[in-house]
Amino acid sequence: MSHFDWLVDGSIVGLYLLVVVAAGIWVRRYVGGVQDFLVAGREMDVYLGVASLAATEFGIVTCMYTAQAGYQHGFSGAVPGLLQFAAMLVIGWTGFCVKPLRESGALTLPELFEKRFGARVRWAAGLVIVLGGLLNMGLYLRLGGEFLVVVTGFDAGRLEWVMTGLLALVLVYTVLGGMLSVLVTDYVQFVVMSVGLVAVTVLVLVNVGWQPLVDAVERTHGAAGFSPLANPERGWPYLVFQALLATAATLTWQPVVARVLASKDARVGQRIYTRTSPFFLARFVLPGIWGIAALATLGPVAFEALPESLRDDPSMAAMPLYLSTALPIGLLGLLVAAMLAADMSTDSSYLLTWSSVIYNDLLAPVRKGWSESKGLFVNRLLVLAIGAFLLFYGLWFELEGSAWDYFTITGTIYLSSLSVLIVACLYWKRASRAGAIGAIAWGALCPVAFLAAQKSEVAALVESAKSIGTYWSGIAAFGGAALAMVVGSLAFPERKERA
Amino acid sequence: MKLVWTIAAFGSLAWYVLLTGYVAVRGAKDIRAMLARLSSRKENRT
Repeated sequence: MSHFDWLVDGSIVGLYLLVVVAAGIWVRRYVGGVQDFLVAGREMDVYLGVASLAATEFGIVTCMYTAQAGYQHGFSGAVPGLLQFAAMLVIGWTGFCVKPLRESGALTLPELFEKRFGARVRWAAGLVIVLGGLLNMGLYLRLGGEFLVVVTGFDAGRLEWVMTGLLALVLVYTVLGGMLSVLVTDYVQFVVMSVGLVAVTVLVLVNVGWQPLVDAVERTHGAAGFSPLANPERGWPYLVFQALLATAATLTWQPVVARVLASKDARVGQRIYTRTSPFFLARFVLPGIWGIAALATLGPVAFEALPESLRDDPSMAAMPLYLSTALPIGLLGLLVAAMLAADMSTDSSYLLTWSSVIYNDLLAPVRKGWSESKGLFVNRLLVLAIGAFLLFYGLWFELEGSAWDYFTITGTIYLSSLSVLIVACLYWKRASRAGAIGAIAWGALCPVAFLAAQKSEVAALVESAKSIGTYWSGIAAFGGAALAMVVGSLAFPERKERA
Repeated sequence: MKLVWTIAAFGSLAWYVLLTGYVAVRGAKDIRAMLARLSSRKENRT
């Protein structure tokens, strides 16, 4: 039975929602054109960038899958966080790729690629970014809704209404204010989210204690709970794939890169990366602790309180179930406000990111000559259309396996090829458009084929997907994309080079 | 490995506690400055 009190906790949540939506709507008056809408007029400074990046890259969905990883794999579930911390720190410090990217003045990654590889590569890159991004984001609403249903003790039948309500609030301010509303609301959301994260983690540590958490991991997972290399189902393929993913996400994940593109200059962009890097560890470790606390304290009887639909795989619902009974009134309201803050900032940023790629890159051939007001109108329509897609996709898609695996596969659709493209574009003189097209095609087809095989009705295909596994499939996507770039560029060099 | 995770957990928590207050203050200043610049740019355009 959830401790959520509608008077006390509900008032905290209501106040938070009022403040954030009002702030988001208020800044719409500063939007003067498409550049203000998409990249906040490139006026973002370091600390607003840190708040915005941290808020964007932590949603309820992040909290759910990192806590699930803690519940299922112990501390070793937080290894992706360690790897991304290292990637952000090194790339921010050296400026590798991100410095020349910001200096290029491009609004999106595909726009940069056009300068080197031509308009077709820009369009193809935009297409895989949107495809991978939308599939990746498709589960956010459902997982967010599930968290809220379990924590607040809502009737599970109202999940769809919770999802729709959440999305409607986010759409209101994102459609009106674009990146400006996203940045200002991200700031409020960062503060609320951080206070909630710290308060809940401290309470969990006080209630359960550090040593009992360590003992629970040791008892349940043994050495594999501390190192993925001790887990025969993970091992080196897991580690290599996660390292590739962390590096690629830092270089090309459009919602992350959008902060570099919106920053005042390249130096500010780099500083945002280095100063936010510890957050990428924290976003895995802190909710991971909550998941481990669920592992240490919940017995099989506790899961009987879950709605019927969530009982098949209780790993996802374990953390919200634990928090709904462990947190006192007041703190539960703060937690829900913090998680709503986290979720809304992620949804708004991602809605804007994918719509900006559709407008800037996919519509590039047809939007020449459009006025600023028409451009703004189309951008707002695109945000609304993506919102509608998310609602319907989130309602019918059934997740199989772990959420993190789903996100890595869908993210790989473009991370594998675009990370190869950005490095080749900026640092390899012999890279050609044939190599770029080959890398994009391989990088997209490999994970899509794997996802299709996993969902197939044909038993042999499902079995072969299982035997290959997520990690080898991901490594093949990255390795194949790099190989396609090298072979394609050497076999079909640019005309000037041939001459 | 246990020591690594102990450092990672308490280090993350400490980083969050220290950073939140600082970013809250500096971030508010950044917002004010950003909106002022955008406002004057918009006036110049009109």
